[in-house]
Amino acid sequence: MASHPAKSTAPLEYAPYDDATQSLRQIPRYPRSFTRNPSQPLIRRPLTLSERTGPADLARRLPVDRMDLSRPDAGTARVAGQLIHVAGRVLDEDGAPLAGAMIELWQANASGKYIHEMDRHEAPVDPNFTGWGRLVTGAEGEYEFITIKPGAYPVGESDWWWRPPHIHFSIFGVSWMQRYVTQMFFPGEALNETDLLYNGVPDPEARQRITFQLQPTKVGIPNLLRYRQDFVMRGKRATPAVD
Amino acid sequence: MSQRTWVPSPYGTIGPFFLKPLVDGCDDLTQWNGKKARGQQIVLTGRVVEEGNAPVLNSIVELWQADAGGVFPHPLDPRAAEADPGFFGWGRARTDREGRFQFRTILPGGSREENGVARCPHINVMVLAIGVTRRLVTTAFFSDTPESVDDPALNCVPANARSRLFAVRDAALDSGATPVYRFDIVLRGDHETPFFLD
Ligand SMILES: [Fe+2]
Repeated sequence: MASHPAKSTAPLEYAPYDDATQSLRQIPRYPRSFTRNPSQPLIRRPLTLSERTGPADLARRLPVDRMDLSRPDAGTARVAGQLIHVAGRVLDEDGAPLAGAMIELWQANASGKYIHEMDRHEAPVDPNFTGWGRLVTGAEGEYEFITIKPGAYPVGESDWWWRPPHIHFSIFGVSWMQRYVTQMFFPGEALNETDLLYNGVPDPEARQRITFQLQPTKVGIPNLLRYRQDFVMRGKRATPAVD
Repeated sequence: MSQRTWVPSPYGTIGPFFLKPLVDGCDDLTQWNGKKARGQQIVLTGRVVEEGNAPVLNSIVELWQADAGGVFPHPLDPRAAEADPGFFGWGRARTDREGRFQFRTILPGGSREENGVARCPHINVMVLAIGVTRRLVTTAFFSDTPESVDDPALNCVPANARSRLFAVRDAALDSGATPVYRFDIVLRGDHETPFFLD
């Protein structure tokens, strides 16, 4: 169980996301993105206490100790799949670590199947794999968890689109403005080339920020492949720190 | 120190499979830590629809709001020490086949900035869904006299669209003694909900 260090309370400035570093809102050949995004311009408004505060203490409200998705319970057998270890840090735009950020993650099993009523894919359910975790970053913004590499799966509403292996993340920082949701991809997957969501981020450099980096391999117990990626949450200190 | 600039990571859609255990038990904001929240309990409900007024099922709606006294339970609020210990202020719900979400919460109080600017009682609302690659952020306001509200965020919204940001009391829906407020969210189309730059 991770400790929950107190978060910094220094006020942050929040500039709107730079569109050039983000996903397109409307992605060609992704029909839902055309019917679910506003036609009217987004409205700029001053940020007040209401938006500068937020659910910064969710770890007190929700269970946060699910860090090994590969074992349903301590002492039981591991679920089927390629065992992986994922680690990194949660930072803000100053590169300052965000301690106490809550991370939620969810994913398909090794066969590309989610435990979800909307999932119609005829792939086997692994009864031992619940497919979700929730954890809190440490004092240096660090996080880590063990899971299995998710499988690819077909998109029910399409006649060609297979999603490449990916893990979903939802992160709560210090405020309503610092709320982040994404999907993280695996390097070198052929299906990455055709994935509408991965390529919906047009800037290749930005795509690297949602791609795990495989770490140098080692053999020895525990045998698992290690991946890393940092998450950069929006928000800068109002007065830049003097280096 | 490094001169590197740290660019926010790209947002992505929540997709169709946000798992049930991550949603369950998050739609009731009326108690926290074994204590009942102060203030007027309400039900906040509404439909999320897309173009053509079609329901958006399986979307995720999240809330953040002040307590009945207008205090945010967060260290940045200078009045945080007065925050209601029975109120956490955050909620999450999934929309059903009709696109409907429902929360139990309390009527938020109006808050005041340190510079004296007043905020009309409101709840911050965000929507995540298939096809929504970046969260959509809006605000539900509460007032008996919407025409006379002076709120710094509302004042940025085109005048003819402001009424869409008010949660509407619907006495016909009241569940027992709990008043029901409706806040429909039109992602795109006629009567589109105004969304804020994020
Ligand atoms: Fe997925």
